[in-house]
Amino acid sequence: MAKYCTRMGDGSTVYMTKEEIKQDVLDGTADAADMGGIKDLTADEIEHLIEIICDTNRIVGVARGEEVVLSYDVGQLDMTGDNGNSGGGVPASRLNGALVHERTLCADTFELAHSDYSIKPVKPVIANEMNDMEVIQNNIIIPYFYGAMPNMGLYYSPDGPYGNPADLMRQFKIDEAQEQAEAAAKHLARDILYVATKIDDAGSDGFNFDTTASAGDADFVGTLTGVEQLRKERPDMSIMLGMAGENVMGIHGEIEYDGKVVAGLFPHQQVALAEKAGANVFGPVSNTNTGKSLAWNLSRAVTFVKSCTDVSSLPVHVNMGMGVGGIPMSETPPLDAVTRCSKAMVEIAKVDGV
Amino acid sequence: MSDFAKEKQAIIDAMVAYKVPGIQKAADDAKAAGMEATEIIDVMGAGMSDVGILFERGKLFLPHVLSAANGMTAVVKSLEADLPVDKMGSTLAKVCMGTVEGDVHDIGKSICSTMLQCGGFDVVDVGRDVPSKEFVAQVVENGCTMLGMSALMTTTMTVQRDVIALLEEAGVRNKVKVMVGGAPVTQAWADKIKADCFSESASEQVDKAKALLE
Repeated sequence: MAKYCTRMGDGSTVYMTKEEIKQDVLDGTADAADMGGIKDLTADEIEHLIEIICDTNRIVGVARGEEVVLSYDVGQLDMTGDNGNSGGGVPASRLNGALVHERTLCADTFELAHSDYSIKPVKPVIANEMNDMEVIQNNIIIPYFYGAMPNMGLYYSPDGPYGNPADLMRQFKIDEAQEQAEAAAKHLARDILYVATKIDDAGSDGFNFDTTASAGDADFVGTLTGVEQLRKERPDMSIMLGMAGENVMGIHGEIEYDGKVVAGLFPHQQVALAEKAGANVFGPVSNTNTGKSLAWNLSRAVTFVKSCTDVSSLPVHVNMGMGVGGIPMSETPPLDAVTRCSKAMVEIAKVDGV
Repeated sequence: MSDFAKEKQAIIDAMVAYKVPGIQKAADDAKAAGMEATEIIDVMGAGMSDVGILFERGKLFLPHVLSAANGMTAVVKSLEADLPVDKMGSTLAKVCMGTVEGDVHDIGKSICSTMLQCGGFDVVDVGRDVPSKEFVAQVVENGCTMLGMSALMTTTMTVQRDVIALLEEAGVRNKVKVMVGGAPVTQAWADKIKADCFSESASEQVDKAKALLE
């Protein structure tokens, strides 16, 4: 029986029969449906996904006219950074990086990013960021945003002023852990408003809140609250809100936004709160399991993301990259896998952007 | 002779409901019905496994897991007089847990520490960005028989291999079961660096850690 060259979630090559691929596609969509309480992919969608995975071309793409918006995150860091942050190690200024993305990499939008890529460390250097934003805005044509992770973990001990909920919980200090998380969320919201309004003043075309809820449910609430305050302050600002995972981790467990407990929410539920807070674009995420095949991971990711596009009135720009969106977790994700994942997200999950 | 099916189910239901008074009541009722203290604790262990699965599926959250574990601790204390001496305050093993040097990711490792603690292990959590030699020092100083290392980046997972080499250099590798995990880590990597165990998730880690003791 013919075997197809495909990938595992860690990027390694694996040869699978069409039947094996089909079984993994079925298992992947079933896992997402079970976890998220959402619909499995239909029989037609499953067939289409198998066709994409089994395509014998090394690189695949969408049909002419079906292209979607392509945005890059982390600013110039993907050029200047070393392998430690998935960069190419190419010396380039922030302006060089921005223009290369616009003029040679065909980015539809791009962003300025600090090397720490988090709200908290950006706050004390925001004046420098404003200066670079203004200079680059004078040279670039495409929408140019500012990007940072809310990254509320930096507000907890040992990095920040609040007790670490994980440590407190292990001492069974559950109430205290929750209080610390709530205080940190308020602090984060305050810092979001400060940083985002400053960079807006410098002419940014918008703000990308990347990897939201990486520190769990209180991180999500802090970000939503910050976005809500930002929207009130800046009614016309473009705000993108992307997630850290398919499921909001319940580190607090009970914290609410708009009267809803956010722990355990999946993309189709997260997007409603992002819209309520005032975001313009939502970025769902599905995390890659390195021990499973591309077929399993992509099927699962497409199922989660499709459940989001099905209900969202916001444009959905799915997070695609190392370890998310079905793409393998490897230093340089294999192009065959990246293009298959992108095609499936556009043609099956019906995303508006990548 | 009763198999205490009703009482066992009540204990498991109470564990999943994670309220300390409810867990205590279910245990008290089981004891009043004639269940042995050791059997009650074993059933609670099964209930804790169910709690772990629901946590893994995003249906229960960290405080709920801790609350269930807290309830279990309270019951064990209340049953102390009925327990054999070797069961009182006993833990399965002492585990050193940390994220490797150069990697500041904390939450995944902390969840694993919490789940191990809830699963009956004595956990020495040494934090994140832990110098490799410090892992060895903590293992020796605390008499740990297990070591869990997390790495969340492809560039830091290699440090897990370095720590295993240091354990060998220190002559303690054969006294310590090494567990590795983290987003980029796979079974193939664990095999390559000769770790004793790889787990995809926190609850799987508890099961595998228990299996290592057998």
